[in-house]
Amino acid sequence: MTVFWTWIGALLTLCIFSFLYKDNPFYKFAEHLFVGISLGYSIAVTWHNAVFPELYVPLFRDFHPANLRLLIPFILGLMYLTRFIPKLSWMFKLPIAFLLGLFSGAAIPREFQANIIKQIQGSLLTADSFARWDIALFAVVGFVGVICSLLYFFFSRERKGILKPASEIGIVFLMVGFGASFGYTVMARVSLLIGRVQFLLGNWLHIIK
Amino acid sequence: MKAFEWLFKIDRRIIFLILAAAVILPLLVPLNLGVKISQPVKNLFDEIDRLEPQSKPLMISVDFDPNSMPELYPMYLAVLRHAFARNVKVVILGLWLTGINIGEEGLREVSADFKKINGQDYVFLGWKAGIAAVILGMGESIERVFPADYYNTPLDSLPLMRDVRNYSDIPLFVSLSAGDPGYRQWVTYAGSSYSLRIGAGVTAVSGADAYPYLQTGQLVGLLAGMKGGAEYENLVNNAGYYKGDMIATKAMDSQSLAHLAIMILVIIGNVGFLLARRKK
Repeated sequence: MTVFWTWIGALLTLCIFSFLYKDNPFYKFAEHLFVGISLGYSIAVTWHNAVFPELYVPLFRDFHPANLRLLIPFILGLMYLTRFIPKLSWMFKLPIAFLLGLFSGAAIPREFQANIIKQIQGSLLTADSFARWDIALFAVVGFVGVICSLLYFFFSRERKGILKPASEIGIVFLMVGFGASFGYTVMARVSLLIGRVQFLLGNWLHIIK
Repeated sequence: MKAFEWLFKIDRRIIFLILAAAVILPLLVPLNLGVKISQPVKNLFDEIDRLEPQSKPLMISVDFDPNSMPELYPMYLAVLRHAFARNVKVVILGLWLTGINIGEEGLREVSADFKKINGQDYVFLGWKAGIAAVILGMGESIERVFPADYYNTPLDSLPLMRDVRNYSDIPLFVSLSAGDPGYRQWVTYAGSSYSLRIGAGVTAVSGADAYPYLQTGQLVGLLAGMKGGAEYENLVNNAGYYKGDMIATKAMDSQSLAHLAIMILVIIGNVGFLLARRKK
């Protein structure tokens, strides 16, 4: 059975790779199959791992009065489906509003703490930043980079005087950042190609170990 | 000059063939270029190396799906092997619905190699809907979020989980993350609210974005892309914890050669562009 599925995987991989030559029905078939299977798999796993054990069973099989609280998420969930009934479609905004409020409350203070306060702290120059010459160098470069990059996005004043060279240095830092991101992206895409080639040459054709 | 004009008209399929050759040839004839260990990878290795055997567990979150397997699966196997070789207990969960089978498959493979027992040496919690609610809820009580493990065994009946109530009983956490939800959510919710010590393995695409979290200490270590996985495999191998297959390390020659090909193509393209502009 494993050999059968390896063949299926290999043939579908080749169908997808065939797009590199040009668009064709084999590619379209594999693409549609992938979309369909992903969605079907997600629905099945969500049902078996979340909806069935945590909503269906406590409400309809092992009912206990305390489980009545589950009617709230159940009804909120059903409200999403009113999107398809024009007269009731206004109701689908309620669960969205509920989730928006809930997660904004949970996320905003923590996002602020983890991604703004901590990052500002990390950018500050302290005595520890000068413990060693290499640490000091990175700390100073980082500090200048943060200030100049932020000045590049400061649009309330015309870029002249000190703002002009500072924002130009900011562009250099931004370009270096984009370059690093692009380099990492290339690395990621090549890794995915290598993974598929390892599968084709190893698991399928047994040419490599 | 004509050569550069020809380059602009080159069929993109020739570039695909060049890249295919750069990837396939080193897999057939390894060049053994080697892997240099970077400090963020070493830091995560040292953190896991310091965990006490047969004590509080390492927690791993499998936050990726089959799309990112070539990059993150080797890391997952290497981290598991490292932990199991040192008799460190492991608790595994995932925030990606489509990644849970990968988590289970890797665990089954490595636990069999090291003869580890479910419930005693490791626990597989599986996936739960809710992301932020799951992460925050586990800070209060893991059992309340996961009353049973993936195989429906009640958590309180598993020996490993008897002394594990919440994050205060988790000395180290590793998120192997292909995006959102992933290490950022763990840092934001568990790191800032519960001071959980977090290490991360990320896809190369997210590598550059993850570095600021290292500098601030919000991440104690970082593996970026397949290269990070290869470095970790080498550390585990060099320390004598595991002497078997190293999937990511084998791929590094292909990675280097493909990068070299891309760099040459980018340089040729830019030189050609500049010459063509000068001609105009």
